[in-house]
Amino acid sequence: MPSPPDAEDELIARAVAGDADAFEALVKPHLGLFHHGILRILGDPMDAEDALQEALIAIHRELPRFEGRSRFSSWGYRVCLNAALMVRRSRVRVREREQREEPAIGPFDSRGHHLEAPGAVPWHVEAEAHGLAERREIRELFLQALETLPDGVRAVFVLKDLEDWDSEAIARHLGISPAAVRQRLHRARTTLQARLRDHCRGGRP
Amino acid sequence: MSLMPTCQSVQERATDYLEGQLGLRARLGIRLHLLLCRACHAFVDGLRHLPGFAKRALGLPSETPPGSHAALEAALRRIRAGD
Ligand SMILES: [Zn+2]
Repeated sequence: MPSPPDAEDELIARAVAGDADAFEALVKPHLGLFHHGILRILGDPMDAEDALQEALIAIHRELPRFEGRSRFSSWGYRVCLNAALMVRRSRVRVREREQREEPAIGPFDSRGHHLEAPGAVPWHVEAEAHGLAERREIRELFLQALETLPDGVRAVFVLKDLEDWDSEAIARHLGISPAAVRQRLHRARTTLQARLRDHCRGGRP
Repeated sequence: MSLMPTCQSVQERATDYLEGQLGLRARLGIRLHLLLCRACHAFVDGLRHLPGFAKRALGLPSETPPGSHAALEAALRRIRAGD
């Protein structure tokens, strides 16, 4: 349970004054949220643990500059996302030489017409009808599908579609063009859609 | 080039279309195609619903993962040591 705002203010004041126990009490209720945001960007639990540790150090360091204009949890969450992006940058250089795969669309005939007989019901309608969005299995499926996306593609999807950042901010943070952001977003969305569609079609209710 | 794009062209530009990145002519062409083609309609509709669906499917889990407590312990050790 998050502390009531007054108690939180007091914890912040004590933490800034050097009270480590107060800092612990301040961040503990938000650990799940912070970890969650980091893990979605990094995918790997070990990397996420390291990034969370660095993020908590950064929160502690920056705390004197926290002005209380936003809630502590949302401010801390942003610090965590930045820490995750830093970790990503440092490890991505190696992997990123992005293999250029096509988005999951089609199949088409030689004139560019869709070949598959259209499904009567779109996947999302079936999924909603079965309450799949709320289920653990769809979470697992989603996480696995996210995991198979190249790092840079996953990061774009998470920041755009889960965190609601705008394309310019994402482009700046990842050091790519806004057009590349949309290209990666297309790749991520079409891949995820193809996975979900297969699951809903082949899947049991 | 006729106003009516192919399925392939519609699906290649579906994200740009949904993100409002296309000009009027391209937008109208896709809209017309979507009226006539069930496959592309389902494809674009699915893409449109994906972000909201993903937000719910990947929402905050109820339990705090154990790795996060380890990270806090490690951070507190560094903070107490004056890092
Ligand atoms: Zn079509």
